[in-house]
Amino acid sequence: MNANDCGAVRELIPDVARRVAAAHGLAAVEAHVATCAACAEELALVRALHASRPEPRPELLLRIERSLRFDRQTVQRPWWGLTAAAVAALALGIGFSSAPGSEIVAPAFALETDEGWTWETGDGLVAGGVVFDELSDDALERLLAELADDAGGE
Amino acid sequence: MQDRDAAEDVVQDAFVKALRGLDRFRGDASFRTWVLRITANEAKGALRKTGRRRESPIEAAREVATADLDPAAATALNAEAERARAMLGMLPEKQRLSVSLRTEDGLSFREIGEITGSSEGAARVNYFHGIRRLRELME
Repeated sequence: MNANDCGAVRELIPDVARRVAAAHGLAAVEAHVATCAACAEELALVRALHASRPEPRPELLLRIERSLRFDRQTVQRPWWGLTAAAVAALALGIGFSSAPGSEIVAPAFALETDEGWTWETGDGLVAGGVVFDELSDDALERLLAELADDAGGE
Repeated sequence: MQDRDAAEDVVQDAFVKALRGLDRFRGDASFRTWVLRITANEAKGALRKTGRRRESPIEAAREVATADLDPAAATALNAEAERARAMLGMLPEKQRLSVSLRTEDGLSFREIGEITGSSEGAARVNYFHGIRRLRELME
């Protein structure tokens, strides 16, 4: 590499700034920028950009992990994945039919998504059918009644 | 994006979308590139929603490591880095993305092209145009 090799040097500058360039590339770039003001300026600029790159807060990873876990638990299961008790309670509480061959009618508070339906609760959380698995029939009926009241009141 | 909270929301949403769409990952790009592409699309969507193509706060910028410099030189270097970052925000979107992905993340032009939806050659051109424009703005 010689003084006329600005093109080749500029290709390597990001790797040199990140200190991942191979040793011979690094030496060649350093030799070149010692005599080329334009490339030296570009290296300084790229170094400044790299050194000041935004750093995510440590809690971001926890947030992502939590949201992925929540998403897996709540959104993935389609309506036919509900327990029999949940389906019965849904049919009873909000009046949609789950009889084979009949058209499924979404309740007023259901949101249609790529994955199927999800249900929005009063505090803005979106919950899918799987959360009903954890509830007793009584608790499920109470929840459905609350959700239906919320939806009706809007 | 230069608003830290908004950027972190975008990253979180992108990971959730990637997880949901895992079965659509075909392996014709690296997994990192695939997730970054989803993230870039999410960021575009978020910026479109807020109606802000360029944001003013630069709060997410990292302080440059200046342990081996005297205080005056360290201050000058940090000011220069902050200025460079502000100027980066003024570049057109594809130039900004190409410069950012190449200088900050070390992605190849082929990977940048996959993320920005352009060819490897276009990514290279966008990067060098962006760097040239940045140098002009810094003068």
